[in-house]
Amino acid sequence: MDAKKTPEPGESSGLKLGHLGQELDVPKGMRVVSQGETPEFFYVIQSGRVRVFRETEDRIRTNLTELGPGSYFGEVALVTGQPRSASVEAIEDAHLVRVSKEEFDRLLDHNPQLARHIIQQLANWLVAGDGRLESETVRQVKMRQISWFDYALTLGLSLILAVVFNLYNDNQIALIHGWGGKDDIQKITLTQGLEYLHQKNAVFVDARKINFFEMRHIKGAIDLPVVFFDLQYPMFQFMLTQMGASKEKPLIVYGGNYSRRFDVDLARLLKEKGHEQVMVFDGDSQGWERSFPVMEKKGKAPGAMPLGLAGLIEWLPVGIFLLLLIPPVRRSPYLSIWCRLILGVIFIEFALSKIMRPAVFAMNVIDYNLTPAWGVNLWSLFLPWAELLGGLFLILGIRTRAAATIIGGMNIIFIIGLVNAIFLGLPINCGCVGEVGEPVNWLKVLKNTGMLFMAIQIFLYDRLFVLDRGGFVWRARAI
Amino acid sequence: MKQGLMKWVVILGLVVTWLAVCGCGESRAPFAGNYRSETPFANKGYIKLFLKENGEATWKLEQDPRELKFKWKVEHGQLFLYTREGAIIVATPTEGGRKLTVDMTGDWNPSCPINHCITFSKVAGES
Repeated sequence: MDAKKTPEPGESSGLKLGHLGQELDVPKGMRVVSQGETPEFFYVIQSGRVRVFRETEDRIRTNLTELGPGSYFGEVALVTGQPRSASVEAIEDAHLVRVSKEEFDRLLDHNPQLARHIIQQLANWLVAGDGRLESETVRQVKMRQISWFDYALTLGLSLILAVVFNLYNDNQIALIHGWGGKDDIQKITLTQGLEYLHQKNAVFVDARKINFFEMRHIKGAIDLPVVFFDLQYPMFQFMLTQMGASKEKPLIVYGGNYSRRFDVDLARLLKEKGHEQVMVFDGDSQGWERSFPVMEKKGKAPGAMPLGLAGLIEWLPVGIFLLLLIPPVRRSPYLSIWCRLILGVIFIEFALSKIMRPAVFAMNVIDYNLTPAWGVNLWSLFLPWAELLGGLFLILGIRTRAAATIIGGMNIIFIIGLVNAIFLGLPINCGCVGEVGEPVNWLKVLKNTGMLFMAIQIFLYDRLFVLDRGGFVWRARAI
Repeated sequence: MKQGLMKWVVILGLVVTWLAVCGCGESRAPFAGNYRSETPFANKGYIKLFLKENGEATWKLEQDPRELKFKWKVEHGQLFLYTREGAIIVATPTEGGRKLTVDMTGDWNPSCPINHCITFSKVAGES
């Protein structure tokens, strides 16, 4: 540090400045010495106070000390001949004595006591600097440490909140769909189904949503989406009557995917309505696509509904993504703060659009056809709470690296789901921030990629405005 | 430290309040009331749709004893009806809210597909 305090205030006269130097009045806020400049003067404070600080290139400021009357600064650079190692500014109106380098050298030559004192101070400073360096290193290591506890805390809390909230939610869903349901639906093989088809001895009923039915269905099948059963059943009855089919007519229900057997669900409902012979295909719920004559046309993506502010906010990650391409900006901790704020708001918004109606979100999850049936409802309950906590943690600065990892992980899952849906041409909604009218397309992939990069930026460079990080982290390794 | 914490809590409170206000949807009052389908449905008479201001809704076919219950909200000037199973029906008010065009595909479409569209007219009366 380029600043010292003499043993006793007012001892500046002990420096025997005599007629040396030039008196100087410095108003509050004025910078006396700037870090990096070539040293020309040594300063002694007669009255007032100054602050000594260092500043990095990305303008992170570290206050080193404050000095008052009797203190001096600026001697280190004069002794070493190096540029100023710190800046000094007045924090109140100050009166200084400014001594030129030539005068300072003369002063040292004729004042061994002062020279010894400066050496002593420099030595003290080195020892204190080592201590500060060590404590800062420890702090940095602690900041960068994350443990499994961080993840367990965020994910565990999300799960607990999801389950508890679901208990009291009017729109409650079962944790596992169809758990404990009776397996009382008659199953037939695809070959048996084909026999029914050739003999025209059964009505084929497609249990999927209209978009999927229109994309591909068994020739002659009737669509009765299980999710609209109560509404559409009267029309279904009417169509059966028009076809001259009674309730004794065998019904072969098909449809569904890896994530939900809509066929089994619909078959149960039809049996409850008094249909006597309701059957589903055994085994692969999508086997009919390969074995039966089908009507096909290109999947029609849902229309894009204006999402308002949410839609605009979603574009911010793309802008940030472009900023990340600039190396000095990429590493900025201030950018991390913006990333945390934007990502936090987006994920809170994502969460709030899903939390209240998990059944709606579950239908979105099913459409992607990537989650096993037993996990759909659990995932639909858990994900919005993980999004909410992740978003809150990012904004508040709690466990930001863990929160960024979790949010980054979610984005990877979203990107995989979106790309898979695009390649398969699935006529589905994104289910990202809106419940309907949000088609899956490459723009969504781009936005999610932007968010993924934001999460990575936070993980690597976030270090400002964090709340009590390291305060209650369980640490895997000792420091 | 406490001041910093308070600052963050206030910011968070504002953000969450803002999001919650945005997430609650718009006022249901202009669209609450009784509606009747313009054409009979499934040869079982007309559909009576009753939208209550508290967010509940009922759907009843004249010749069907069952009464189906929904929840509904208004967002971006459109009505969203939620079924128990998680499906969404989007209804678009027309003619100043005197008519509702109900899209039965379960998705949002810029215009209601003819084969899956039911038009309702507002009628007087409480239920």
